[in-house]
Amino acid sequence: MYEEKQLRKADFITSIILMVFGIWIILMASRMPMKATYGGVQNTWYVSPALFPLIIGSAIIILSILLLIHSTKAGGAKTFFREMASGGIISEKSLRFWIMIVLFISTVYLYIPRIDFFLSVVLFLLVFISIFYFDEIRLMIRLFLFYVAITILLLLLFIFRLDTILNRSFVYFTDSIILIFIIFFIIYCRILIKKNRQLIQKFRLILLVSFSTPLILCPVFKYLLLVPLPKEGGIIYLFNIIRYSLL
Amino acid sequence: MNVIHQFTLFFQQLGILGTHPVTYFILFPSVVMGIIFGAMPGLTATLGVALLTTVTYGMSTGMAMVSLLAIYVGAVYGGSYASILINIPGTAAAAATAIDGYPLALKGEGGRALGLTTTASAIGTIIGMLFVLALSPLISALALQFTSFEFFLLAFFGILISGTLTTPDLVIKGWIAGFIGLFLAAIGRDHLQFYPRFTFGISQLDSGIDVVPVLIGAFGIPQIIQVIKDKITVGEAKKFKRVFPEFKTIIRHGPDILRSALIGVGIGAVPGIGEDIAAWVSYGVAKNSSKHPETFGKGEYAAVISTETANNACVGGAQIPLYNLGIPGSPPAAMLLGALLIHGIQPGPLITFDHPTFIPQVVAILFLSSIAMWVSGMLLVKQVIKILRIPPPVFMPIIAVLCIIGSYSLGARIFNLFLMLPVGIIAYFLTEMGYPVAPLVIGVILGPMADENLRRALMVSKGSFLPIFTRPVSLILFILILTIMLSQTKMYKKLKGYIIHRFFKDKKHTGGND
Repeated sequence: MYEEKQLRKADFITSIILMVFGIWIILMASRMPMKATYGGVQNTWYVSPALFPLIIGSAIIILSILLLIHSTKAGGAKTFFREMASGGIISEKSLRFWIMIVLFISTVYLYIPRIDFFLSVVLFLLVFISIFYFDEIRLMIRLFLFYVAITILLLLLFIFRLDTILNRSFVYFTDSIILIFIIFFIIYCRILIKKNRQLIQKFRLILLVSFSTPLILCPVFKYLLLVPLPKEGGIIYLFNIIRYSLL
Repeated sequence: MNVIHQFTLFFQQLGILGTHPVTYFILFPSVVMGIIFGAMPGLTATLGVALLTTVTYGMSTGMAMVSLLAIYVGAVYGGSYASILINIPGTAAAAATAIDGYPLALKGEGGRALGLTTTASAIGTIIGMLFVLALSPLISALALQFTSFEFFLLAFFGILISGTLTTPDLVIKGWIAGFIGLFLAAIGRDHLQFYPRFTFGISQLDSGIDVVPVLIGAFGIPQIIQVIKDKITVGEAKKFKRVFPEFKTIIRHGPDILRSALIGVGIGAVPGIGEDIAAWVSYGVAKNSSKHPETFGKGEYAAVISTETANNACVGGAQIPLYNLGIPGSPPAAMLLGALLIHGIQPGPLITFDHPTFIPQVVAILFLSSIAMWVSGMLLVKQVIKILRIPPPVFMPIIAVLCIIGSYSLGARIFNLFLMLPVGIIAYFLTEMGYPVAPLVIGVILGPMADENLRRALMVSKGSFLPIFTRPVSLILFILILTIMLSQTKMYKKLKGYIIHRFFKDKKHTGGND
C-alpha cells in the first residue's frame, strides 16, 4: 500500500475518476427502458433493468464525494497539484512494474491468440524469469528492450496481416518466427552474461523451467483434461504425432 | 431433515468416500498442493481453489469437491509454515500466527510450534465441520421462510460487512469496492427481461462476466506483480527438529481451542470476511482472557493454538451460509460457489431437497481433509519448506502461466483470458490504493442475487418497500445495514464514546470506592 500522503493523493484522483464513472453508469442506465415495453414486458420503474445500475451509480457518486472530501481535508489535493508542477524520476520499482505489464499484455493479447501455445509459454517464461531473476538493472533493461524491439516488429507483421499471407505458403510460418526469436533471445542472454558464473548457473535453471513447464502443462491440459489449447500450432502438432502414433 | 438424520448421512458418506481408493489419490495431492499454496507468500487459498476449479472441471462433483476442499483446508493451514519459520505469513490468515510462532522458532521450538499448529488446525476444521452439519438443517428451514426482500437485504448486508471489516484503510473504500463488484455483476443481459446492460454490442458479454477469471485475475495478478515489484524474498527458514503432535499441550489448552473454534465458526458464517479476521479476533480474545497477557508476542503456545484453530474453524463456518443461503462466508468460499455453479449445484435453501446428501458429503470431505492435512503436516513439513527456497522470480511466472491457462480453460474461451488481465491490473491498483479485493469479489458473486431479488420483491409489493419493515428478518437486516452505515459517522462515534464513558468507566470508579 502507498504511504499516507501518496494514499490521500491517490484518493483525490480516484474519487474524481469514480465520480465520473458513477455519472457514466447513471447516464447509461437512463437509456434503459423505464416505462416503455421491452421484450413484450410493460416496464415500470421497479421492474426496469435500469433500477440496479441506478442504485450502483448513485452509491458510487455519493461514496466518491465522501472520499473526495476526506482526501481534500487530509491534503491529498495539495500533494497532487504540488507533484504535478515538479517532475519525477522513474524508480526501479515502477520500471519493474511496467516491464511486467508489457510482458503480460503482449503475451495475452498478441502471442497467445496467434502463436502455438507451447511457444507462447516458453517465450513468456524465458523473458519474464530472465529479466527478474538475474536481478541486475543493466541486464533487465537490455533484455527488455530486445524483447520490445522484436515484439514491435511482430506487432507490425500482425497489424498488416502479413502473417496470414505468409502462413498460406508455410502453415507454421509465425511459429517458426517465434522459435527463431526464442533462439536469438537465448543467444543474446548468453552473450550478456558470458563471464559471470553465477548468472550462467541461473540461466541454466531459467532454460530448464521455461521449457519443462509447458512440456508438462500442455499435455496435461490437452490429453488428460481434454481442454483444447488457445492456439495449436507446430509444436502441439508434434505432440499429437507422438501421442497418437507412438504412445 | 433433522440433525440426527444429518449425522447418519454423514457417516454413510464417510464410509462411501473413505472406502473409495480414488478419494485418497485426489485428497492427499490436493492437501499438499494447498499446503504449498498456503506456505508460499504471494499465493492464497482463493487462488489455489480457483486454479484447481479449472482442473477439476471434468471430474464428478464429488471428486471435484474432494480436491477443492482439500486444497482450501491445506492452504489455510499451510500459511503457518512461513509464519513460524520465516516470520513472513504465507497467507493473511496466518499473519497472527507469526507474532508468537516466530519467537518460538527463534527459541529452537519451531518443530513444537508446527506440531501445535498442525493439530490445532485439524481440530479447528473438525469443529467447524460439526457446525456445518448441525446448523445446516436449522438455517435451511429458516431460509425457506425467506422471500425476495430478505435475500436482497442479505446480499447487501454481506457486501457492506465485507467492505467494513476487510478494508485496510477507509471503510468507504471497502464499500466502493463492493459497488464496483456489483457493477461488474450487472454487465450482461439481465435475467428478468434479458435486456443487454453495458455490453457495448460485444456478444461475449451477453452472458455476463464469468466469476472464475475475475477471481483468478483479482487474486493472482496483484500478488504476482507485488512480489516481483517489491522483490519480496523468502528468508532462510529457521532449523527445527521433528514435528510432534503435542497432544498434551493441546489438551491443556482445551478451553482456548473451544473458544477459538467458536470464534472461527462465527466469523466464517458472516458473509465476506475470512480466515484472517477470525485469526486476529481469536488472538485478541485469547490475549485478553489470558492470566499472563504479557507473554503474548514472546512465544506463547495459547496464541499459536488460538489463531490456527480459529482460521481453520472458519473454513467450516464460511460454508454454512454458502450452502444454505448461497452467500459465501469468505473469499475462498466465494470461489467454491463458482465451482458449485459450474458443476450444476445451486446452493440455497433448496439444496437439502435437490441434493439431500450434498452437505453430509461435504462434511465428510472436510473430515477426511483435516486428517489428510494432519498426516501431511506431520510427515512432509521439511519437504514443503524446501519448496519455499524456490526464488520468487522463478516461481511467480509459473503461477502467472497457471492463471493464464486457468482463466482460459473453463469453457475454452479466450475472451475470459482477455478479461482476466485488465481485472487483475485494476485489482492491483485498487490494492495499492487501500481498497480491499474481497468485497469486490463478493459483489460480483452476490450481484445477480441482489438485483433479481430486489426487482422480484418490488414486483410482488407493487413498488412498495413497506414489507422490509413488516417482516421481522427483513427489519433486523435493515437495522443491521443502517447500523453499519451510521457507525462510520462522527455522531455515532461520539455517542459510542459517551455511552462507554458514562456507563462503563463510571462503573469502574464506583466499584473502586466500595
